[in-house]
Amino acid sequence: MILMSALLLGLLAGSCRAKVRGYHPIYPDLSWPWLVGIAFIPQFLAFHLEPSREICPDWLASGALVGSQIILLVFAWVNRKITGFHLLGAGLSLNLLVIALNGGLMPISPETVMKLAPGAPAHSWQTGQRLWAGKDIVLPVVNTHFWVLSDHLLLPSWFPYHVAFSIGDILIALGAFWALWMVGNPASSNLKMARQTVGNNPGYGD
Amino acid sequence: MTPIINRLSSTLVSLTPNQIRLILLLISLALFLLGAGAPESSGNPGG
Repeated sequence: MILMSALLLGLLAGSCRAKVRGYHPIYPDLSWPWLVGIAFIPQFLAFHLEPSREICPDWLASGALVGSQIILLVFAWVNRKITGFHLLGAGLSLNLLVIALNGGLMPISPETVMKLAPGAPAHSWQTGQRLWAGKDIVLPVVNTHFWVLSDHLLLPSWFPYHVAFSIGDILIALGAFWALWMVGNPASSNLKMARQTVGNNPGYGD
Repeated sequence: MTPIINRLSSTLVSLTPNQIRLILLLISLALFLLGAGAPESSGNPGG
């Protein structure tokens, strides 16, 4: 939800910016957009689709996560000239680094889990195990490589939505916001790229 | 059902290249965010 908020805010802010400046929002031409779909399939099966995620063993879940993120990194690389994608790639690289160094799942400390869900039943999670059949694994801080890159950040307690996230997640959210914010900037590389690809198309900029 | 499909079809046909780029960008970014970010929410206990 926190990442999707960045997407919606970026779309809204970029469109408003373009309107205020009197420009039509111009969206960049993505290279290999199908790669994202391919990358998401293993994660969808391992973490999102209820029947398959319940039976997915940890080794397969971690393989799905790492493999999927490597494909996403390729997608970010081939689109690196589009504004914001270098931040998306940097955030993903940080997440992938800490995930790969800790067995293929995103580490989260027991202390963070207790703060995240203080009312969760005691038997619902265990140190050393996957957390709630998701992408995280509960690891003590002392046993975590690059703990600073793990899911150790929390939203303020007064915030109605509780979530643990990483520094990489922040960069990814900023990258998505920036990519959409820049559609209202006439000097952005997005605009130059779109002009090159569209040429004299009469539907351009509608 | 048929009117809905007809309407959807005519809408898709009338999309400009810029609108198609927007749709592709939003879908790609949404899937990228879901796949690349790993925030853990408290709504997950019990699946």
